[in-house]
Amino acid sequence: MNRDELNRALLGAHAREEQIELVRLYTLAAEERERARDTDAACFYLTHAFVFALECGAPEAIELNQRLADLGRIHRLAF
Amino acid sequence: MNKISRLSSVLTKVNTANGLPNEHYVDPDTFIEEKHTVLFANWSGIGFGKDIPEVGDAKPVDFLGMPLLLVRDRDGEIGVFQNTCRHRGMILVSKPQKIRGAIRCPYHSWCYSLKGELRATPHVGGPGQNKHDDVNLSDLSLVRIRSFVWRDVIFVNVDGSAGAFEEVHCELMERWKEFDVPIFHGGETSGFKLDVKSNWKLAVENYCESYHLPWVHPGLNSYSRLEDHYNIEVRDQYSGQGTLVYRQLTDHDGETLPDFAGLSDKWEEGAEYIAVYPNVLLGVQRDHSFAIVLEPVNQENTVEHIELYYATSEKDTPEYDGLRASNAQQWKTVFEEDVFVVEGMQKGRHGELFDGGRFSPVMDGPTHNFHHWVATQIEIGRTG
Ligand code: FES
Ligand SMILES: [Fe+2]
Repeated sequence: MNRDELNRALLGAHAREEQIELVRLYTLAAEERERARDTDAACFYLTHAFVFALECGAPEAIELNQRLADLGRIHRLAF
Repeated sequence: MNKISRLSSVLTKVNTANGLPNEHYVDPDTFIEEKHTVLFANWSGIGFGKDIPEVGDAKPVDFLGMPLLLVRDRDGEIGVFQNTCRHRGMILVSKPQKIRGAIRCPYHSWCYSLKGELRATPHVGGPGQNKHDDVNLSDLSLVRIRSFVWRDVIFVNVDGSAGAFEEVHCELMERWKEFDVPIFHGGETSGFKLDVKSNWKLAVENYCESYHLPWVHPGLNSYSRLEDHYNIEVRDQYSGQGTLVYRQLTDHDGETLPDFAGLSDKWEEGAEYIAVYPNVLLGVQRDHSFAIVLEPVNQENTVEHIELYYATSEKDTPEYDGLRASNAQQWKTVFEEDVFVVEGMQKGRHGELFDGGRFSPVMDGPTHNFHHWVATQIEIGRTG
């Protein structure tokens, strides 16, 4: 998926309020930015992935919280 | 007009007292005063546990303009919060929903747990930075409203000033402790609501008294004569009426609804109907109970939320669906028969020369007891 495709997919998932899909797509977007060594943008997308995971109670929330905490971007949460 | 001296004519014995003056029914400023001194300062009913039956269920409720949120958390406990985000004050939950993980504010996505703890503050320290030294999550939980669930009614004390619910209502809880058994909502047919063009207090007052029964509910008269009723009144606490001739509903096979377990003989033909001040009306009978939450909309309008409960669940005893439905229908008829009197009393209170009315010293004790309590709360509010 290139960046345009990813953006389109994200907008569609937002419109349909598909939280699990949002978690997946924002994680992909973060990883794409990580490969480009753009940490701030990666953390921006990881934050979104984390928030939607937290909202819908997806287990990914634990790992996403950990990834952000390792980068000093969030408090570690107890789950 | 000196309102304080006019309340003194309420705060005397029933034989010579007047009822609350007109402004307590028709004046918007007095409605606001009562909102704070009567409804927010005491334990008011705002909903039912059955409305949020499962873990994660959340239901927004507007209580006198105040946005509240009812939530059932992972421990199965019911919590009530102010439905306002701690960030920019956005309404958090605008329709009933199931919260699977966290309550996410729709504005900037701050997230709260079902216990109201702030769990995430995305980008609070700039894009991709989700913490800041000056934003302490533990200081920013949702504002919890004091709540207590009794007989499935969710009571709240909004201003936090009342005594503990179990202390305030210990005498009533003791009086009805035999009914402290599991109760099951009767399902879809067992709940209904009535919009009445009346001040909420008139619904309480009418509920407390048996004086009107033979006139307004002639159908009840055959099995429920005036002399079979007794007054219930406890000063500063609660009031209502009891009957000595409660008769169970039977279907065409002579079948009746199952009794609550372990009741004493008193309840074989006894039943009681009590107003839990300020705005909750409860009834107990051997085979069912009900709860009415009066939602004060404004000084002239009230919504009556009526829910019926049984000794067994709808799921386990489908064979009683018919009896439950006819029981609900019977009560609906009775409550609908009362609409014209509460609405008529409301209209009557626009008569500017009405003096609050004169009570029957014998029949109106429970009504006067309520007025006395309301007047006392207002006086406490006025004198601080
Ligand atoms: S108002 Fe709720 S997150 Fe900003
Ligand atoms: Fe009635």
